[in-house]
Amino acid sequence: MRRAAYSLLLLAGLSACATPEIPESALRLPESTLDIRSIQTRTLEASSETVILTATIAVLQDMEFNIDRIEKPLGVITASKVSDADDKNQKTGLFLLDMLCAMGGSGSCDASSTAKDDQHITLTMVVLPNLARAGEYKVRITIQRVIYDKMDRVLVLERIDNAETYQTIFDNLRKSLFIQEGKS
Amino acid sequence: MSRLPGLMLLLGLLSLAGCATTTPTNIAGGGTQLETRQIQTREYDTLDKAMTMRSVIATLQDLGFTIDQADAELGTITATRLDQYTMRMTVTVVQKEGERISVRANARIGENAVTDAATYQDFFVVLDKAMFLTLQKVD
Repeated sequence: MRRAAYSLLLLAGLSACATPEIPESALRLPESTLDIRSIQTRTLEASSETVILTATIAVLQDMEFNIDRIEKPLGVITASKVSDADDKNQKTGLFLLDMLCAMGGSGSCDASSTAKDDQHITLTMVVLPNLARAGEYKVRITIQRVIYDKMDRVLVLERIDNAETYQTIFDNLRKSLFIQEGKS
Repeated sequence: MSRLPGLMLLLGLLSLAGCATTTPTNIAGGGTQLETRQIQTREYDTLDKAMTMRSVIATLQDLGFTIDQADAELGTITATRLDQYTMRMTVTVVQKEGERISVRANARIGENAVTDAATYQDFFVVLDKAMFLTLQKVD
């Protein structure tokens, strides 16, 4: 019995010191690399890298992003925005749940407080000139988001892999480029 | 008389002492300076500084990072990956003598610094490929 108590104490002591392990494949390319790359990348034609950067800034402003940083010599734009992450259906569902709960006579009906709240979205756009063909640029966009609940706890940490999202942004960018090049 | 309470107290104190970290270590980081630099650094003599930086950015994007900031003059790139955990990397590209370029990467996962050589090795394997591809386009 006494020996068991010592072992337990030792184990507790050791586990308190344990640091989480670094995932083995943290910096290895996943198998989905090529798919993700093609979803996030388009080849665009423009008169200069600056034209693409300017058109992108306009599109990001259209999408209500704030530009955090621009590093023109490397063709990098970083932008972010905070928006509501609540799903309308989820909100309605939780509201109905609260209503049913209140009708049942219970005093603690706060299912709505479990709704997801803010999402912090960060976006990076990188322009890479095609060294073999002048006037051709590879544009790659990467988006990530963190969703917090009402208590500011992190609910979701994820990279956006949804092809439609990127397609919409690139469609807008093409339009923006057309307008810009048309003016100049 | 049982000596169990005394022993338990001693063990408890020992286990706490084992976890205690002093403030200077938390600020200056663990590990020896030279060892850490060796693990985190590679030298290249193929591309110039700007093209090396562009290759680093492409590598980070392939690895699922978004670029927080990049500075062409100082040669630093900081990127974040949000997955099950938050991973942050800073990569510095420095022009050395004789057209050599030094690339140093350091990574943190949450509150922990990544110290194992294998993880950095993985990063440089991906970067090597990106550098090779860029070099072919330059030539």
